[in-house]
Formats: sequence, structure tokens, C-alpha cells
Amino acid sequence: MPGRTRQPAGGATSSEPRIRPTPTSPRGRYVATVKENIRLCTDHYRLVLSLPRFPRSTPGQFVEIDCRDPRFAPSADHDPGPRAFDWPPPESFKGDSPVALPRPCPSDPDFNAPLAYLRRPFSLADHRIWPDGYTELDIIHRVVGRGTLLLAQMLPGQTVSLIGPLGTGFTIPQGIELACLVGGGVGIPPMLYMAKGLQQSWIKGGVGFIGAQREDLLPVTIIGPPNAPEPSRAGDPLLNVAEFKEYGYPAVITTDDGSLGMRGYVTEALSAFLEERQVQQGRLMNTIVYCCGPTAMMKATARVAAVFGVPCQVSLEQPMACGMGTCQSCVIKFRPRDLGEGAEWKYKLTCTEGPVFDSRDLVW
Amino acid sequence: MPTREFHAPSLAVSIGKLDLQNPLMTASGTCGYANEYGDFTDLTRLGAFVTKAISKTPRKGNEAYRIVETRAGMLNAIGLANIGLDAFLKDKIPILKEMGVPVIVNVPGWTTDDYVDVSARLNDEPVVGGIELNVSCPNVKSGLSFGTDPVRLFELVSAVKKVTTRAELIVKLSPNVADVAVTAKAAVDAGATALSLVNTFTAMSIDINNARPMLANGTGGLSGPAIKPIALFMTHRVYTEVAKKHNIPIIGMGGIQRWQDGVEFLLAGATGLAVGTALFLDPNIPLQILEGLRNYLARKNKTDIRQIIGSLQAPAPHD
Repeated sequence: MPGRTRQPAGGATSSEPRIRPTPTSPRGRYVATVKENIRLCTDHYRLVLSLPRFPRSTPGQFVEIDCRDPRFAPSADHDPGPRAFDWPPPESFKGDSPVALPRPCPSDPDFNAPLAYLRRPFSLADHRIWPDGYTELDIIHRVVGRGTLLLAQMLPGQTVSLIGPLGTGFTIPQGIELACLVGGGVGIPPMLYMAKGLQQSWIKGGVGFIGAQREDLLPVTIIGPPNAPEPSRAGDPLLNVAEFKEYGYPAVITTDDGSLGMRGYVTEALSAFLEERQVQQGRLMNTIVYCCGPTAMMKATARVAAVFGVPCQVSLEQPMACGMGTCQSCVIKFRPRDLGEGAEWKYKLTCTEGPVFDSRDLVW
Repeated sequence: MPTREFHAPSLAVSIGKLDLQNPLMTASGTCGYANEYGDFTDLTRLGAFVTKAISKTPRKGNEAYRIVETRAGMLNAIGLANIGLDAFLKDKIPILKEMGVPVIVNVPGWTTDDYVDVSARLNDEPVVGGIELNVSCPNVKSGLSFGTDPVRLFELVSAVKKVTTRAELIVKLSPNVADVAVTAKAAVDAGATALSLVNTFTAMSIDINNARPMLANGTGGLSGPAIKPIALFMTHRVYTEVAKKHNIPIIGMGGIQRWQDGVEFLLAGATGLAVGTALFLDPNIPLQILEGLRNYLARKNKTDIRQIIGSLQAPAPHD
């Protein structure tokens, strides 16, 4: 039996079957207003969305954003009106609409431009709630296609449709005292939210491991070591990340090309850290690894954690159409670790049963 | 525009003996087993709820990746992953009862016995108002063969008809045929009480950098606005060639995303309107379509939605 776990920021759930939305639904459809849209580095943007209210969320949870171009969205009751055909409409269909000129272009938005058709999933980078319910969500994304390009071009005051909070977030097993937050590239944002989640839990120790290919692909604010007059930018593993420092957590930065922080992979830094801690303390019983990033990086991190006998929770990404547990497309192979290697795996849905899984339960 | 008194038009339709409060339904495979969308839309306001395909035994389905987005649509190759009939009856039927709308269960199969066994057990569940025979899944081995061969289809539907004594027997037609009216005729002759069309179109998407198909299954089924004009044509063809003269209702589907799409399908001859892929964008779309339909009917001075079903006035073909 796995130990009792607690949610870092307590999302409300109910076992009653819910057949219609209610004010207490733990997730739902919302319209958010863009408050800020900030370019963080070459490809990454931070979109700050404001909502009058939004359910509580857990670090690791995500939202699905409609990234179709709002310029082409017809109003709900848009009616192009009758066209002037060379044959008249039947008497029974005349109605009271004025006869309009033929329209050269259909009103359907999909004809006007190639659009991002399906919603795009984004993990939350932060979630701030005011006492009156007013909420701000931070989405940090990298521009990789039509949908994210549209988000990058959004202006303050524009609105987006979002669904969330979706999925199951990170959990903190009892007895944990130190958490390693390992984020790679576009997998860094949920780690920033998790840092906040840790700070609000009983865990007081945390350390970030932030990796990217190059310096300009790091969507975080780099500051120097405390009391240093200038940010240190060359080969210094003590570089701090403002988003972690806010909660008192140090961070190690790695880049593949050495353009900032340590040269190499984030897993090497994690491995060195765990080894040193093991030597110092003799054991790593109270340590856990939380990880999000490219699949190869998460696999490597899980291997490092396994070598040191440390539990590791990973936040997976799979192509998904709905994010709500209906389309069955985002499957991963799951085999509970206590059943052993010979047991048969089964598929689990990344969107509702994940995206966070214990790496020891995954067949990958 | 002159003002006039507003009379809310009647939106009620019937699929055989099933009375629906409105024509809007979910399309199988896009809405889960029961209340997965309960946090996002009021499921009790649907005309009917159509479940994911329920097979005799649980199925894992295909390897990932199972979907890929395409222009104005998507390809899927889920492979009929589902929890199986026993778990469905035990865990999902109670929730469906609570929803209180007519329930149609989609039934896939690999042999005639598969279809007959599952249909017979569902026929015993009072909450199941209709059985939709899935003879047209393009993503499993031999999934298409019943749906594309009119002789085999006739035999299958005849066999299932014997056990569906209470529930409506709906046959979901495949668009992957030369003439959909031929398979529609075979289904109706064998005793189908309603037809639903269309299922997805077999299609492909290729990753040019790795020279591999995007989907692990190789091919998938195309859905979304991209297929709407073809689905509309097929609905109209089946209506004029088969359904109208046999008085068989059609559940139209294929790219329905806005109320205008729904009106098009109604005019072409559909009685029911199933929303599929668009649910992934917004599970509330059926209720938005409902609102648009109501306004359209009022503008056209219609008091009853049935006045416009199949009322398309096609011009005489040119020489």
C-alpha cells in the first residue's frame, strides 16, 4: 500500500456523479481576460489570465485553451441571411429576413484561415486567488505552431475560452522533507507552481534543477547569487532563479551548450546533488523528485531517481483531443510497481488519470 | 424588421418509439460512457446520449499516438478502447439513468455473435432506448467489412433484429463505400428502425521528417468540419433514396459544429443531429446549436422543427 498522500493545494472533488455544471464543480468552462502577455525569452511567453472566479487547482494540473483565431469567430447567432439565388426560395421559407447579396465567402471560420482546430493543453505556472474569488492564472508557453503563435499575439483585454483545471496534479507523500524540482525547457512552468505548492505544505526543503538547450530558451528570471553586484552568467552552478528564490529555494541551471549555468543535462546536476546528499546523510529516505520536460529527459530523470532509490513523479505530455477523459487518445502504459515486472500493463489516460504519474508505475 | 409575438417552436422529434426533447445528441466515441462532460454542460438537456462503443469484453485499443490534428478536423485511431459490457452495465448504467435522457449504446463487434450477445443484454436494460450497430469502425481489423458489404450487413442486422425486441435498432453507416444508399437499403430491409451517418472517413497523415504515419495505427478516421459537405451529401442521398419512402429517421452527423450546420442536416433529411468532434472543442456546443435552431425556426415562422426536416428544395439538374 502506498502511504497516505496529501494534495499540495487541495482541489475539491466529489464522488457523486455530476451531470450538470454547478457553482461547486471542481472544473468547468470559463472565459478569461488577458491581463498581461510578456515575452520571456526567444520563444517563450507568459500569458497572465484573469477570471472573476475559478476552481482551486493543484500544481501539475492543466487547462485547455481554445487557440482558434477570435477574429474569425462568428457570434453565436450569426446568420448570413438568404442568398440571392437564380431560383427563389420556397414560399414556406421566406421568413422575415431581408434578401441579401450573394456572399462570396462562407461565414464558417475554418474557411478563412488554417486554424488551430483542437484546444491546446497548458500546465499552470501559477494560480493566484484573491479573497473575493478573483483569480489569475499564469500560462508559460513556447511558440511551436499555430495555436501558440495566436496566444503569443494576444493583447491585454482580449478574451480566451478555457477549460480547467484538468488532470491530477503532484502529490506529496508523508515523511518527505526535501523535494527536487526538475524542469526541462517547456516543462519548467509546472515546477514553478509546484515550488509554491511546496512552500504551502509542510515541506520546507526544495531545490530546483532547471535545464534548457540554450540560455535564450530558459523561461525564468535569472538573478545572481545573494549579495553579488552583478548576475553571474558563466559556469556558475549557484545561479539563482527568481521564481524559486521567492520561496527560498536555490536552483541549479544547466544548458546543453553551456551558455548559462552548468554545461550538460539537468539529470547530471540532479545525480551529482543526490550523490552528495547521500554521502552527507547516509540515506535519501526523505527525498522526492518532481519532474516535467521532454519525454527523454523525464525517462533519464526517472532512471537517476531509481538509482538512488528516490520516488519520482513525472508530468507527462501526450497528444490529446479533449483533455476531459472522453477521446481516449492520450494513453500511456501503466503497471503498478507493487505488481512486479511480469504483471500485465494497462492503458491509463494522461488527461484525467495523469498527467502526473509515479515514474515507477510507467512502462516506457 | 417588423416585431411579432414570439412563439417558442417545438423542437421535439422521434427516433422510432424514442421521444427526444430535441434533435441534439452526442456522437459515439466523443462523449465517453456517461457523465464525463457533466462539469462542462448540462447533459439532461440533450435530446439523447450516445455512448462510446461498448464491446463484449474490455479492449485496450491501439498504441499511441491515437490522434492527430488535420486542417479543420482530426484523425483518430483509438481502436475501440472501452471498459467492456459488464463494467458498463455495473458502473455506467446507474449514472445514465440519473441523466434522464434517452440512451443509445454503440455496439461494435467482430463476429455476428458479438453483436447479438451484446445487443440482447442491452435490450434487457430499460434505460437503453436504442442500440447503434457500429459496423463502420475504420480503425480495427475487419471493422469495416460488415459496413461495406450489403449482403453481410443484411445478415448481421437481421440477426440482431431478432434480439432487439424493445430497443430501437440503429445502424451506423460507413462513408467508405461507393454508394451509401446501397448499404442503407440493406440495413432497412433487414429491419433497422433508424440510420445514423456518417462514421469517419478512412484517412492518413504522414510525418515527413521521419517518413512514418502520424498515427501508430497507420491510418485513422477523419472527422470534424472537413467532412461536413460529404456527410451532408450522404445524408441527403440516403434520405431521398431510402429513408423517406420507408419512413426511417436519420441521425445526421459529420462536422456539425454550429447551428447553421444543424439546419443544413435537417433540411437534407436528418431527424437527429449528433455532435462529435466539436465536443472536444466545447462540450456545450449541442446546447448552443439548440439555441440557434430555436431562433432560426422562429425567424422562418416555423412552429415545429419537423416542418423543415427533409424540406430541401433542390433545383432540377442541368442537362
